[in-house]
Amino acid sequence: MLNNTKCECGHQNPVGTVLCEACGLPVQQEMLESDQPLEMRYEGAARRSQKSNPNILDRVWNFFSSVKVAVYLIIITLIVSIFGTILPQENVIPSLDPPAYYAEQYGWFGELYHKLGLSDTFGSWWYKILVLMIAASLIICSLDRVIPLYKALSRQQAKKHETFLRRQKVLYEGSVSNADEWLERMEQALRSRHYRLTRDGHALLGEKHRFSRWGPYINHVGLIILLGALLTRGIPGWYMAQNVVVNEGETVPVPGTPYYIQNIQFTEIKEIGPHVSGQQFQFAFETEAVLYRCVDNCNNPLQKPVLEEVKRHTIKPNEPLEYEGYSFYQIDYNFNLRPMHMTLTLQNANEETIGDLPIDLNNPETSYAVGDMRIELTGYYADLTSENGVPASKSRVPNNPAFIFDVTHADGTTESYFVVPFEQFQTRLKGTGDVAGLSFELTDMEVSRYTSYLLVRVEKALTFILAGALIFLFGVVIGVYWQHRRIWVRIDGERLIVAAHTNKNWFGLRQELAKILTKTGVETDANSLDNYGVTKQ
Amino acid sequence: MVMARKKWVQVSILIVLIAATAYTIGTNLSAGSAMPKVGDKAPNFQLYDMDGNLHELKDYLGKPVVVNFWGSFCPPCVRELPLIQEKYEDYMESELVVLGVNIGESMVAIQHFLSDKHVTFPILLDKDIVRRQYGVKDYPTTFFIDAAGTIKQIIVGEMSVGGHPSLDLDIAIRRLLYG
Amino acid sequence: MSLEQIQSLLDLSSKFLMVAFLVYNVSFIVFGIAVLGKRWSKRDAKSHERRWGTIGLIITIVGLLSQGAFTGLRWVANGHIPVSNLYEFLTFFGMMIVLAFVVIYVIYRKPLTGLFAMPLAVVIVAYGAVFPSDVKPLIPQLQSIWLYLHVSLAALGEAFLAIGFAAGLMYLLRTINFKERSRSGRWKNLGVEVTMFSLVTLITFIALVFIFRGVGYHAEFLQKVVEKDIKTNTEFEVENIVEYTLPPIFKPHNSETVEMKPFLGLKEPLFEAPSWLKGVNAGRKLNTIVWSLAVGLIVYGLIRLIIRRPLGAAVSPIMNGIDEQDLDEISYRAIAIGYPIFTLGALIFASIWAQQAWGRFWAFDPKETWALITWLFYTAYLHLRLSRGWQGEKSAWLSVIGFLIIMFTLIGVNLVIAGLHSYAGV
Repeated sequence: MLNNTKCECGHQNPVGTVLCEACGLPVQQEMLESDQPLEMRYEGAARRSQKSNPNILDRVWNFFSSVKVAVYLIIITLIVSIFGTILPQENVIPSLDPPAYYAEQYGWFGELYHKLGLSDTFGSWWYKILVLMIAASLIICSLDRVIPLYKALSRQQAKKHETFLRRQKVLYEGSVSNADEWLERMEQALRSRHYRLTRDGHALLGEKHRFSRWGPYINHVGLIILLGALLTRGIPGWYMAQNVVVNEGETVPVPGTPYYIQNIQFTEIKEIGPHVSGQQFQFAFETEAVLYRCVDNCNNPLQKPVLEEVKRHTIKPNEPLEYEGYSFYQIDYNFNLRPMHMTLTLQNANEETIGDLPIDLNNPETSYAVGDMRIELTGYYADLTSENGVPASKSRVPNNPAFIFDVTHADGTTESYFVVPFEQFQTRLKGTGDVAGLSFELTDMEVSRYTSYLLVRVEKALTFILAGALIFLFGVVIGVYWQHRRIWVRIDGERLIVAAHTNKNWFGLRQELAKILTKTGVETDANSLDNYGVTKQ
Repeated sequence: MVMARKKWVQVSILIVLIAATAYTIGTNLSAGSAMPKVGDKAPNFQLYDMDGNLHELKDYLGKPVVVNFWGSFCPPCVRELPLIQEKYEDYMESELVVLGVNIGESMVAIQHFLSDKHVTFPILLDKDIVRRQYGVKDYPTTFFIDAAGTIKQIIVGEMSVGGHPSLDLDIAIRRLLYG
Repeated sequence: MSLEQIQSLLDLSSKFLMVAFLVYNVSFIVFGIAVLGKRWSKRDAKSHERRWGTIGLIITIVGLLSQGAFTGLRWVANGHIPVSNLYEFLTFFGMMIVLAFVVIYVIYRKPLTGLFAMPLAVVIVAYGAVFPSDVKPLIPQLQSIWLYLHVSLAALGEAFLAIGFAAGLMYLLRTINFKERSRSGRWKNLGVEVTMFSLVTLITFIALVFIFRGVGYHAEFLQKVVEKDIKTNTEFEVENIVEYTLPPIFKPHNSETVEMKPFLGLKEPLFEAPSWLKGVNAGRKLNTIVWSLAVGLIVYGLIRLIIRRPLGAAVSPIMNGIDEQDLDEISYRAIAIGYPIFTLGALIFASIWAQQAWGRFWAFDPKETWALITWLFYTAYLHLRLSRGWQGEKSAWLSVIGFLIIMFTLIGVNLVIAGLHSYAGV
């Protein structure tokens, strides 16, 4: 059953319309008889959420379309976020056992904090639901309003009903002797203030800065893009964050990618000497790095991967290495002496040098050819220690490497040596042939001085996140710094009515209108244009 | 009809939002903590053994699996190795699979270490990838995974028999096999 | 540049700051004359106000230029924009408040705003001067142009929001009926009084620090703290030297007095800070807070005794004859100008910088989160005002709460919650 929404001007309005789309006369009896200023929101157009008899779909829509609900959501998010700052969150605590950590460090409060899920406030599903609800509100609020507003503003007419004009917040009523002449002056005055004019007989509409009305909707779109971009992190390949630890001289794989990163050299630049604060300080640190791509033998630990260099860059804070969407950031470092490579020189019984044995301490080769001998590395203890008299390794870090070499001479004789270079110890374990054997001397060593901590990131959504933020800002700026102003003029015989409306800064509108009217010869001031004395009560 | 079109817009927007919600909650709940816990599905992995054969955890579905993280530089790992071998042999008929995952040592070191030890179950070589996946920080750590691929028990520390029940290898295996 | 040259630049810059500080106080007095002197002036009120208002504006700009010189000289001496510790940042923030005030004044020409904005700037600059001004070298992550943009725009945005607060407070003082006995009336009076009390406490704190610094007060403690290394699960003892510039009511937990100047006959600290307060400086901060609150309470009490009314009620009569609608409008406009600048500086540029320096644009660390909280609050403010018609008094209350949130973001997070962002404390 449709209510009769036909206006006396002849226009048929959709159900729910507050002000006639054509002439502005209030549709509902109540509004017509009231003496309050007209409800000008959304031009009095019918909004989807104002229908009667809402079904479940409508109820959900109306819920999210409400600004009151949106404000509640914002406030709730705000309060919850405050709770998330009371104690350090799980992603920064130096512990692998959160429940125990919070209980130990912060007592009963910490325990409660953890149980309530507050120790991971921002990663929790309920926080994300809050943000999603805000997203829903953004989308639905905007759609619900911008479409009717756009239609209404596009279709508006210059000639408005007298009641419409008289119930505006800014009003001037007077008389003019010569309508056309006065309208000429009025048009000139309006044009000089950059108003766009629409003329309909003795009715005139001056409008400016309509674009500022779209500001809020544009900024909502910006936020929606930003939130949507964050959601895309779930797409495989769009997001990754992991730490990589590289010692000097080392080349390590980046897990989950075909890339390897090499730390050629790490530099810590200390400006030693006086700073005005009297301190020695660390001025900069950087890693000279090479990025490789693995092209063959990539996952087989039994074989060395074949690497191809793709990029060189010195990674410093604020200057990451970037390649194909991957970014390597210099996060931290540690001074950490660690032998990486050593060269043992072999001498025979006559103290003649036979050759060199270069050994990679992290991934030693098993076969070597020195002189006319074949040497097999059959035993390796990275960090030699003694476990009940039996040699063993204390750790994976080559702090005290020990080797077992099986030597095969050209003549077929074999012998075995146990060599501990740092202890300058070697012993012949077994052998055929000459008793007097070889000696292994440490002649060269490469040591990593620093361990460099890099963060590898992939964030394909970044451009969209930034775009969303900038669109948001644009929308805020045009919405806040400009106002949409309209001035209606209607002359019936000698009777003049001038009314005006703006979405904000009424004071400025009144001032401007006063100046405009003064130009046309009508003396008035900003305060007397105030129809409802909202300012002066 | 104009009304129907508007309704379609409403419905599709709400569907998109519900989908986004479900997706968000889903990823949140499944993106587990660093260490898979008892009751979680054991993360799948692919590792090569000492002979160059590729082992994938998924291939062992249908059989109970024991995954032991160890290193030759870790005395308790070394001490429990013979015990693990013994139990492996004892329960071979029950199709118990034992995988020893070595944490980042060089082939030479492992080969030399194992050369005088009797170990017949596969030794897999990991370069810090599976270790991270399983959140292993202390060694040895042993995961007991049932035929359906669910982690039934995790023991951190040197296992024994007849000692502390929570470190008892025999009890753990029997629980894995017989529930 | 040699060390001596740098030091002399820094000394010279401090002189400019002193000059600016004094000039701001003079402009405050001039605005006072503009507003209050109307009744005694021989001219008519409007032209009296306009004349003195213009004088006030010129003096304010002189002060601004002087502080600009302070900033510029320090910039040259440091080699980077001087916003890297609380001293520098707060003085910069104070300057931004003066700048924002000048902008608002040029638009609205209301000398009354000067009467509240200038003291606010003065208090902020004074508060900044409480903190150590030592120049420290910047860690590499801070050596970025985004630092300049982020901090300066955030300060400018917050300065406008602070002007919004000043106008909002003025609105409340103007419109609240302090004789109102109804329940809601009493809550409002309480709210205004709490705000006034906070201001009194802040000013008291600043005065205290300068007084004790002036007489060269010093106390030192050797604190022993047991810390636990998570990795090796061992405990070890750490010794810290903690220095106090205020007499110790609370000494640090588990510490011995190394040196303590006697105060009012007190030769030993009265109490010891409880162990559950974490952090090296927890004891000192507790001491500072207790001092501020205690003396603030005493000063407030004395003022109440003397004037025999709530402070709000006492100040309110100045506002008579002021158009509260104008105040409401100014408050909203200031916030509306500040909001986009704040968003750009404190959120967008901050994220760009974080991404470049630490590889992650947002990690919900306390400072970032509180910036977000501030942003959310002002977003709610704008929605409530523009869509729900929350104008006038409601809007004024919101602007006061908003400023509280900003103050917490700037000070509270630094001092109470530690993080990547912390500046040093007092």
